[in-house]
Amino acid sequence: MKKVALIGAGTMGRTHCNAYLSIEDAKLVAVCDINEEKANMLCEKHGAKSYTDYETMISNEEFDILDICLPTYLHSKYAIDAMKRGKNVFCEKPIALTLEEAEEMTKTAKEYGVKFSVGHVLRFFPQYKNAVSIVNDGKIGSPRLIRTTRNQAFPNWSWENWYADYSKSGGPILDLVIHDIDWIIASFGDIERVYASSFNGKVEKQEHCMCILRLKNGAIAHVEGSWAYPQGSVFRMTYEVVGTDGEIEYDSVKDSPILIQTNNDGVHKNEYLNPMYGNAEPYGAEIRAFVEAVDQNKDVVIKGEDAIKALKVCLACIKSSETGESVTID
Amino acid sequence: MKTRIGVISFEHMHALSYTKSLVSMDGVELVGIADTDEYRGANMAYRFGTKYFSDYKDLLALKPDGVIICTNNSLHCSVSIDALRAGCHVLVEKPFAINSKEAKAMLEEAEKSGKRIMNAFPMRFSPSVIEAKKAVDSGKIGDILCITGINHGKIPSGWFIDKNLSGGGGVMDHTVHLADLIRWFTGSEYSSVYCESGNLLHNKGIDDAGLVMAKMENGVFATIDCSWAHVKNYPIWPQVDMEIIGTKGTLEVKAFAQVNHVVEESKNAFEDIVWNKDGDEGLVAEFVDVVRTGKYPNASGLDGAKALEVAEAAYRSVKSHKNEKVIHIEEI
Repeated sequence: MKKVALIGAGTMGRTHCNAYLSIEDAKLVAVCDINEEKANMLCEKHGAKSYTDYETMISNEEFDILDICLPTYLHSKYAIDAMKRGKNVFCEKPIALTLEEAEEMTKTAKEYGVKFSVGHVLRFFPQYKNAVSIVNDGKIGSPRLIRTTRNQAFPNWSWENWYADYSKSGGPILDLVIHDIDWIIASFGDIERVYASSFNGKVEKQEHCMCILRLKNGAIAHVEGSWAYPQGSVFRMTYEVVGTDGEIEYDSVKDSPILIQTNNDGVHKNEYLNPMYGNAEPYGAEIRAFVEAVDQNKDVVIKGEDAIKALKVCLACIKSSETGESVTID
Repeated sequence: MKTRIGVISFEHMHALSYTKSLVSMDGVELVGIADTDEYRGANMAYRFGTKYFSDYKDLLALKPDGVIICTNNSLHCSVSIDALRAGCHVLVEKPFAINSKEAKAMLEEAEKSGKRIMNAFPMRFSPSVIEAKKAVDSGKIGDILCITGINHGKIPSGWFIDKNLSGGGGVMDHTVHLADLIRWFTGSEYSSVYCESGNLLHNKGIDDAGLVMAKMENGVFATIDCSWAHVKNYPIWPQVDMEIIGTKGTLEVKAFAQVNHVVEESKNAFEDIVWNKDGDEGLVAEFVDVVRTGKYPNASGLDGAKALEVAEAAYRSVKSHKNEKVIHIEEI
C-alpha cells in the first residue's frame, strides 16, 4: 500500500482524489491547499488529513508519493523539493513552463532515485488507445494525416484566473493541445517542424490555436485547441487518422452514448456522458500505472523525457504563433 | 428569345451536373457540346439532344451567348480567351487557371471584350453555406477571429493526377473552394500562406495531402485541409466544412451534411446520399443571369484568381518551409 499526499485541490485535484477511491494499492493520506475549505472537502471521503501549508504537511506526514495538481508555474518548485526529500512525484501536465525547469525535474528524479511521471492522460483514454491499436494492427495502413481538436469555453473557474495569465499557464497551446501533441508523438512519431497561429492574448476571454505539424516520418498533423467557445458550450474532442489504406474518426459529442437535456431556471443544458469504469477510466488508469511503477520498482509509462518532448513542441508552436514563421525542432 | 449556351468539354465531370442544370432552366438553349474526346462528347450530345463538335472553335462560330468550360485545368486560359474573343460570357471550372499569369490574361481579355468571366465556385450557392453566410453577416457570432476549413474528398483519376494538365494535386484542386469561401465570409484579402503537403496517401506521384494556414489582411487566420483524404469506400465523396470562431459565438457549417445514411446489403455498401440541392444549380442559374443581364457575377473570375493566389503561395511554402507572402494578381 502506497501512501499519497496531494497538493492543489482545484479541478484536477478533485479528479485525482476521485480516482484514488478506486485504486486499491494506494491510500490518500493528506491533501494540501491554501484554501482550507477545498482541502477539507477532498479529505472527507478518504479520511485524509487536511493542510494549508506544504512544509507542514511534508514534515508531519509519512507518504511515498506526492501528487501535484498545482498551476503549471508552481510544478517544478514543489516537485523538486519533494524529490530531494525522497518522494516519488506524479505531476499534472504540462510538466513545467520552461525546458530548464522540466530538465531540472527529470534530473533531480534520477539523482534521488525516485519515480517521476507526468499526467499526459490522453494516452490512457480508451478511445485514443483503441485508435492507436487499430493503427498498429495495420487496419488503415501507415498513418499519414492526423487531425485533432479540443474545444471548450474559456476556463473561468481557475484560481486567481491563472489560465488567463499566459506567463503562468502558457495559454491553450501549452495547457490544452499538449494532450494531443503528446499523443501524436507517442503514437505516430517525433515532430520535425511546426507552424502555429493563436490569438495570443489579443482577444479578451477567448483563445484559440491551430498548429500544423510535420512529423519526422513525413506525416502531417493539424492540431486545434479552443478556449473561444461561448460559456456553457459542451467540451468536445475529436480526432481523425487517415492512413494509406483507411481512416479512423472519433467525435466525443457525436459519438457520445448518453445525452441528457435539462431546463432548470430557464437555462437549457445539454450534457453528454461517456461512462468508463475500472481501468477504462483514464485518470484512475494513469495513477494506477504510476502507483504500480512505484510499488514494483518498474519504469513509469510516461517518462519525464516524454513530457519534455511534448513541451518542446508546444514551446516551438508558441514561438511560431508569435513570429509567424515555422520552427524546426532540434 | 432563348439564351444560347454551349458547353466546352466534359473532361471535368462537373460538366454533367452543370449541363443538367442548364437544360432544366426555362428560356435556355443548349446550342452544342464540344469535346476533343469524340466518344464522350458525342454521347453527351445525344444525351442532351444537342449538336456535337470535336473542335470548340466550331461551337464558338455559332456565336453562343455564353459557354461553360470544363476542360482540364491547363486549357482554362486559352479556351476562355478564345471564347471571350468570340463574344461569349464564360463560366470556367475551378481552379480558375494553373497560375496567376494566366489568370491575369483571362481577366484582361474579359475587360477588353466587355464580357463577363465567372469561376465555378458552386459552394457559394450551397443552401447550407448561404445560410451560414447570412448568420455571420447578421452579426450573430460577432467578428470573425479564425476559421478551420476542411475540404476532404476522394482522389480523382486521369488528368487530375497529371501535374502538366492539372497544375497540381490536392493543394491545387481543393484549396481554392475554401480559400474562396473564407475570403467571401471575411471580406478580407490574403496576406500570407504556410503549407505542409506531399504525396502521402495514394502513391500517385502527386501531392494528395495538405494543410494550409492562411492569414488575412484583417488579422483573421484560417486553415484549409485540402487532402484527398477519403478512401474509395468512404460513405460520401465531397466534404466542405468550416468552423468559424467569432467574438460572440461560433458557427460550424458542413455543406454536405444533408444526407440520408444508406446501407445497401447486396453491394455491402454504406453510402451517404445528399438529399438537398448542392450548389451546381445555383451556380448555373447565376451564370445564365449574368449572360442575360451582363451583371457582375457572384463567383467572378477575380474571385477565382484570388483563390488561386493562395494555392500558388501554398506550393511555394511547401518548398521553402516558410510563411510565404501572397503575390496578388495586381502585382504581376
